[in-house]
Amino acid sequence: MLQVTGARVRYGDREVLHGVDVEVAAGELLAVLGANGSGKSTLLRAAAGLAGSDGGENDGEVRVDGRERAPLDVALVFQRIHLVPRRTVLDNVCAGALGRLPLRSSLVAALFPRAVREEAMGCLERVGLADRAHDRAGALSGGQQQRVAVARALCQRARVLLADEPVSALDPAAAEQVLGLLAELAHTERLAVLAVLHQPGLAARYADRVVGLREGRVVLDGPAGTDVGSLYPADDRDLEAVS
Amino acid sequence: MTMTDTGVRWVPVPPRRRRPRTLAVGGAVLAALLIVHVIAWRTTEMSFATLLDGADGMADFLSEAIPPDLSADVLLPSLEGALVTLWIGLLGTTLSIPFALLLALAAARGTAPGPVVYQAARGLLSFLRAVPDVVFALIFVTAVGLGPFPGVLALVFHNVGVMGKLWAETIEDADPGPPTALRSAGAGRLQVAAHALLPSLTPQLTGLLLYRFDVNVRSSLVLGLVGAGGIGFLINQSIQLFRFDEMLTHILVVLVLIVAVDRLSALVRRHLGSAA
Ligand SMILES: Nc1ncnc2c1ncn2[C@@H]1O[C@H](COP(=O)(O)OP(=O)(O)OP(=O)(O)O)[C@@H](O)[C@H]1O
Ligand SMILES: [Mg+2]
Repeated sequence: MLQVTGARVRYGDREVLHGVDVEVAAGELLAVLGANGSGKSTLLRAAAGLAGSDGGENDGEVRVDGRERAPLDVALVFQRIHLVPRRTVLDNVCAGALGRLPLRSSLVAALFPRAVREEAMGCLERVGLADRAHDRAGALSGGQQQRVAVARALCQRARVLLADEPVSALDPAAAEQVLGLLAELAHTERLAVLAVLHQPGLAARYADRVVGLREGRVVLDGPAGTDVGSLYPADDRDLEAVS
Repeated sequence: MTMTDTGVRWVPVPPRRRRPRTLAVGGAVLAALLIVHVIAWRTTEMSFATLLDGADGMADFLSEAIPPDLSADVLLPSLEGALVTLWIGLLGTTLSIPFALLLALAAARGTAPGPVVYQAARGLLSFLRAVPDVVFALIFVTAVGLGPFPGVLALVFHNVGVMGKLWAETIEDADPGPPTALRSAGAGRLQVAAHALLPSLTPQLTGLLLYRFDVNVRSSLVLGLVGAGGIGFLINQSIQLFRFDEMLTHILVVLVLIVAVDRLSALVRRHLGSAA
């Protein structure tokens, strides 16, 4: 479903990604692992078409479903969630549909067409939060907010979901829940999900496949449960063993 | 060497070396400040002697002004004038909202459509801000005649400049996260503003609006002095007729009006703050 080929990203004269190839199939949750600075976020930004917008240069190709990536093809989920806390959960989810709505039916939330609202309700139901539709997003817990953000991504109707450390700001129980949700969406909705994770344990439990990056290269690609210890500097490995 | 109960020793403070350059710069700044103040003092003809000579005049003035004339045929027009002043301030603030919002969006990095529009909007805001509302009022009084209407126009023009700038700055300081998220979902510039920026910023923007309302009511008083209606006009009139007791009545009414508006706006802003 998602094919990144030869991703090569330079900032100034420093090359951060040295020609990375990654592929995510429909129905698959791929976890990307690697130490700090190994290029995980950069890879994700390249896949989203964002590398290059911040002063970096990007060659390489991103294809979605065999075609060149179009703007609405991939949806993003962020570590810092990025909902609008003062608006309702439902309005936040509807905002995922903005890319396909004309200005006259989207300038204020009251103008959102009924179909969009109902679709958004469906997305909320998918993440198990339909009963919170009219609450302020800021009133929800971190884990619930991240699920709302996933619902917003669903409302975008993208077939590819990219998530950069989606659970790093969450407590362990919420992290399990959000990753469980991402895996389930991959499997039942046949989405291609690529998630950058920092906990190999979570990756082993929820991902279908793991890819390891080190210094801007793919050094490991295998089924969940592959030993990823070699990706991290020695003294970090002890910490990971504890968590 | 002394010790406290907790066993901490008294340690002598080592001498701090001041660099001669720091001293020289400090001295130069001090001298320059002194010189500009002397120049200012001379140019503005400051003189305690004149103030003392004028003390008699002051006393006369006060004895005529006190007690204020609180009879109904002074107080009623005064209250009416105060209301007009309030309405001028209100309309001057409200009518400037759409223009200030458009210019603020055009003058904030992140929402500006391009560098040319950004610079143009910034320039226009600076111009409107630089021209005081009294000057606008004088221009509009000349153009459309005496009365409250030119006062409203003057406030709108100046307030668009000030509020637009304040709002633009608030928009620039907003958390860039939600806008990024919506942009990545394909939302356009106006959609991002309407669904990510403005909803997050409502309390701040409204707070600034109320602050401007407060200021504008006070300005509209001054606009009255140059012929733009309201209680300022009455104050001006009573001074010209040497009716200082009436003037004092007007000033007391103004005081009440301004304190009331100030309290109200502070109250609403506090509620906004706790809702945010
Ligand atoms: N906008 C940028 N400008 C310059 N260098 C950048 C930029 N973004 C990333 N880099 C560099 O690219 C390298 C990879 O960064 P990246 O953010 O992809 O790492 P990461 O694997 O996501 O790390 P982390 O685990 O800390 O999130 C780093 O050395 C970083 O300094
Ligand atoms: Mg990162």
